[in-house]
Amino acid sequence: MLDTSWLERLELFLWPLCAALLAGLVLPAVGVHLLVRRASFHGIVLPQFAAAGVVFAYALLPWWIETIGLGGLTLEGALHDPHAASTFGLAWGAVFTVCGILLLVRAARGSGSEVARAAAGFATASALVLVLGRLSPVGRGPIDALLGGEVLGVGLHEFEVLAAALALSALLLAWFGRDILLASFDRESARVLGLPTGAIEALFQGLVGLAVAAGTLTLGPVLVFGLLVLPPLAARPWVRSMRAFVALSVALGAASALLGEAAALHWDLPLGPSVVLTAAVALVPAPLAARRT
Amino acid sequence: MSVLIRVEQAAFGYGGRAVIAGADLEIRRGDFLGIVGPNGGGKTTLFRGILGLLAPLAGRVERAGARLGYVPQRETLDAIYPLRVEDVVRMGAYAGLRGLRWLSAAQRAAAARAIERVGLAGEARAPFASLSGGQRQRALLARALLAEPNVLLLDEPTSGVDRGAQRRILDLLVELNARDGLAVLLVSHQLGLLRETAREVLWVADGRVLRGPARELLAPEGLDRLFGAAPFAEGG
Repeated sequence: MLDTSWLERLELFLWPLCAALLAGLVLPAVGVHLLVRRASFHGIVLPQFAAAGVVFAYALLPWWIETIGLGGLTLEGALHDPHAASTFGLAWGAVFTVCGILLLVRAARGSGSEVARAAAGFATASALVLVLGRLSPVGRGPIDALLGGEVLGVGLHEFEVLAAALALSALLLAWFGRDILLASFDRESARVLGLPTGAIEALFQGLVGLAVAAGTLTLGPVLVFGLLVLPPLAARPWVRSMRAFVALSVALGAASALLGEAAALHWDLPLGPSVVLTAAVALVPAPLAARRT
Repeated sequence: MSVLIRVEQAAFGYGGRAVIAGADLEIRRGDFLGIVGPNGGGKTTLFRGILGLLAPLAGRVERAGARLGYVPQRETLDAIYPLRVEDVVRMGAYAGLRGLRWLSAAQRAAAARAIERVGLAGEARAPFASLSGGQRQRALLARALLAEPNVLLLDEPTSGVDRGAQRRILDLLVELNARDGLAVLLVSHQLGLLRETAREVLWVADGRVLRGPARELLAPEGLDRLFGAAPFAEGG
């Protein structure tokens, strides 16, 4: 246990706690749509691609500064400037996430097992993270912290980046939620009704990519895929409408974030995995709901 | 009567290979047409071409006067979605959403009327996935009606449902056709039911489309002519 009061810990870790809570509110709403599309494994594969992108950004940084430049910063300056490093990492995280999305979309349309191809993508991205991590000028520490979900170093700027990205994703999801739902539930009817299904699909994949890239950069892949997958999976057996599904998933995500944060602070545990394990507890009563129906 | 859909010398197919070639047909207000034919003959291809889900490889399809209502096969819809009957029916209004993309009170009322019209008022808040096959088909019909169509296109609406449910669905279609002048076009394997219900059929086989009166083409002697010496077993 930490040798400080709760108030001091809250003050010290304000931004990491706010970031995890925000992720607990938004990522489950995105995960609901992945679950009904039977694409929850995207929630596991895409954060790994985003992590590979972030690690790639670190590995690339020396070459980039020397050849292209980053606002006049030196390598040392860039590594100590949270704005430059996180924006650069977010950009590459987004690029890798988009590549992951394209790969998954291609896998869905191709022949053979979609899940096997996604698993191959996950294995490749995981290997890339480790190999590129070795090349990183910041050393293994920050990368291990990112991958292990140790997010206590999140500051105001990282929180702002995450908040902007998740707010945009949530806004797009709320605004176009009905179109996204119809285009996935019954694509042909959506086309006959005149909805631009290709644009709607691109919009959905874009908002998933944005949320995943920003979430992974700030909170690491463990917390992101935990919050994308677990709360919707726990909520599904209890609900009869999409609105209730989203509401319960978001409530479970937020509750998991709060309780997981409390556990992490109390027992000095890594924040991300604590939140994910708390979310996993919500799966326990699911068989009761199945029996009830 | 006014032409709603006109297909002129159209070819439809996949990957540049035509499954249907030289199709000419018109769908007018008040038509009641069944699309029938042997498996693999091109029924679904023609249907998708008329719907606009397949672009013609040659020729053209005009739908300038048509407001399409589409009823897909219910098996294509995944039960993992937690949707109530009213949620599914309201999807028929999604193309008309404006501003904040909320359903207006008028759209909600129209959805309720459509649900009532297909006889599912008591099931409006029931999970869509818990309905019987026939009830689900009627819910999808209500959704199509919400778009205020003048042409209703249905893909195998009576397959996999019991005889009573088949009759209820077809009676509803006959009523919509007779009372509102709605043109009805449906794909079906159930020739017996179509012979009693549809006025005309489009016989689709070997890439060609033949149009004729349902009672003649689907009578035993008509089927003998169409199939030569080996008429196929009649379904339903």
